Amino acid sequence: MSHNHQRESGEERDAVDDLENIPLRSRPSISIRARIVTSFSLFILFCFAITCWSYWILSEMEKKIEFLEIVGKYMVEIQQARRFEKNYLLYGTNLDDALMHLGTADTILKRHSRTIRHILGAQHLKTIMENLSEYRKQLEMVGRTEREAAIQSLEPKLREYGGQMVSFADEIVKKEQKDVARMLLLAKRGPIFFVFVLIVMMFFVGNALIRQLMMALKRFMDYTKRIGEGDFSPIMPARKYRDEFTSLAEAFNRMIRELNHRQEVLIESHKLRAIGTLVAGVAHELNNPLNNSLLTASLLKEDFHTLTDEEKMEMIDDLISETERSQSIVKRLLDFARESKTSIKSLDLVEIVNESIRLVGNQIKLAKIRLDVDFEENLPRIHGDEQMLKQVFVNLLLNAIDAADKRGRVQISVRKDPESNYLLVTVKDNGPGIPEHLQSRIFEPFFTTKAQGKGTGLGLSVSQGIVRKLGGYIRLDESTQDGTSFTVSLPITYSPSEIMSR
Amino acid sequence: MSEKKLRIMVIDDENIVGKRLKPALEKSGYLVETFEDGETALARYDEEPFDIVVTDIRMEKVDGIEVLEKILAKSDRTKVIIITGYATVEVAREALSKGAFDFIAKPFKPDDLRTIIKRAANELRQ
Ligand SMILES: Nc1ncnc2c1ncn2[C@@H]1O[C@H](COP(=O)(O)OP(=O)(O)OP(=O)(O)O)[C@@H](O)[C@H]1O
Ligand SMILES: [Mg+2]
Repeated sequence: MSHNHQRESGEERDAVDDLENIPLRSRPSISIRARIVTSFSLFILFCFAITCWSYWILSEMEKKIEFLEIVGKYMVEIQQARRFEKNYLLYGTNLDDALMHLGTADTILKRHSRTIRHILGAQHLKTIMENLSEYRKQLEMVGRTEREAAIQSLEPKLREYGGQMVSFADEIVKKEQKDVARMLLLAKRGPIFFVFVLIVMMFFVGNALIRQLMMALKRFMDYTKRIGEGDFSPIMPARKYRDEFTSLAEAFNRMIRELNHRQEVLIESHKLRAIGTLVAGVAHELNNPLNNSLLTASLLKEDFHTLTDEEKMEMIDDLISETERSQSIVKRLLDFARESKTSIKSLDLVEIVNESIRLVGNQIKLAKIRLDVDFEENLPRIHGDEQMLKQVFVNLLLNAIDAADKRGRVQISVRKDPESNYLLVTVKDNGPGIPEHLQSRIFEPFFTTKAQGKGTGLGLSVSQGIVRKLGGYIRLDESTQDGTSFTVSLPITYSPSEIMSR
Repeated sequence: MSEKKLRIMVIDDENIVGKRLKPALEKSGYLVETFEDGETALARYDEEPFDIVVTDIRMEKVDGIEVLEKILAKSDRTKVIIITGYATVEVAREALSKGAFDFIAKPFKPDDLRTIIKRAANELRQ
């Protein structure tokens, strides 16, 4: 069960990864503007629909009420007619009154036939009209015959038609009254229901919009943090479609490219400075093998005829080894100085640190610094760019040498962090330390306390950029009047992609 | 003209320098001893003083300038010749102001050094 769940979330991650790989430009466009306009249009449409419905139901009720009035009048007339009919049959009063009321009823029906037809339909109107005319016919027939005989023969029929006429109208009135009551209830509840639906709709639509906006903003806040920490890989939001934030992401990516370019320029210019410093030492160092060669060659020539073969051979061997020594001195500097594309390779960190120490070897000798090294054995490998890492350690060492007094002491150690998967390189000096109020500024580009022409102030800032790019970090461990210690942490990696995904 | 041979001390942490200069200078008629660090050289000087000291300026622990100062403190008659690896005006000026006889920049030929030593020897013999 739990295994299943894990698989599912794994697949989900795959989907997200896929999304991240779609170029921003080729995602379908659904702008925030379009989304807001759509939701507002939906609200307006909904309001319009509900208004139309209210209008319709009210006018329908109006018609029904009007109809009920008409039918009420009609009822009065036919009931009157029936009263006079009964009076005539019982007491022999005037029948004309009954006929007059029937006439009025007929006029009412005719005048309002449209309204009635609208409410009841043609069929019922016809039935009413028929009922009325049948009754009228019977009544007229009663009028023409003798009263006693009429009572005898025509009364049941008359009663039947009359009763039918009245009860039908009555039924209709009752039905329509019920209808009106129903509609009234509907008209009363409709708006309440509408408001409720509106609130729910607003809640969901608004919530969704706000959440999307807030999430996008938060994402961009994370991006700025990441960029601030020196991660200049382009941002690829995991979203299916394009919107205004996608344009923002594109703008960010342009900015990142620009920043990255500038960072590279800074790294390069700091490297040139470092090379400048190292060159003085290298020139010094190079003079030793050169001097050895020149002395040896000169004396070989001078005493060529008096030297034994053995002595000559020894001198030639010296010449060869001193020339090779010159070569390796030059090569070391060139390896560091050569302009080359960044290439992430599997590296032995101790070797890199040793090379860096050799690069600053002359500065150490010149300043008569005692350098202590402490390397743990069999350390795992890391991934990184050789030149850039050397640049980091060369700067830390040069800083330490600058800080340590003449005859000072610098310690450098490489070890594995027992608590994490990082290798730690610590460079420690016994210099005067960094004043507390300046400690927060040392990683700023161009911050330096060194004399003009001596320091660019780029060393630590550039180092930080380099190390962060490799997924590590560099920090000032402590700085007191007894010395300063910096530690570079680099992740242990088994493939270059591990660095990229950090 | 059987003068007493002048005693020369060569100090350079590059052992080839001593190895080559010893026979080269002995050929010119000097007594030569070579050392690879300042401390042993100074200790040896205390046992038996030298007339001319040729020292590299840049060495670990005790460097050329220190050797210069210490030797001149013991005997201001000794001529100290400084070998610099990377000739800068400041280094030369410092050495000379501290009483060095002269300086020579690496790389040099044996004859370049012989000329300077000869000058020093002449001064010593005057
Ligand atoms: N080990 C240290 N001891 C004392 N102060 C230090 C040490 N390391 C760095 N600093 C301070 O931090 C500042 C910035 O160092 P950073 O390496 O960035 O530049 P820089 O060394 O001045 O110039 P550059 O590296 O270009 O030669 C230095 O100027 C110095 O004041
Ligand atoms: Mg620096």
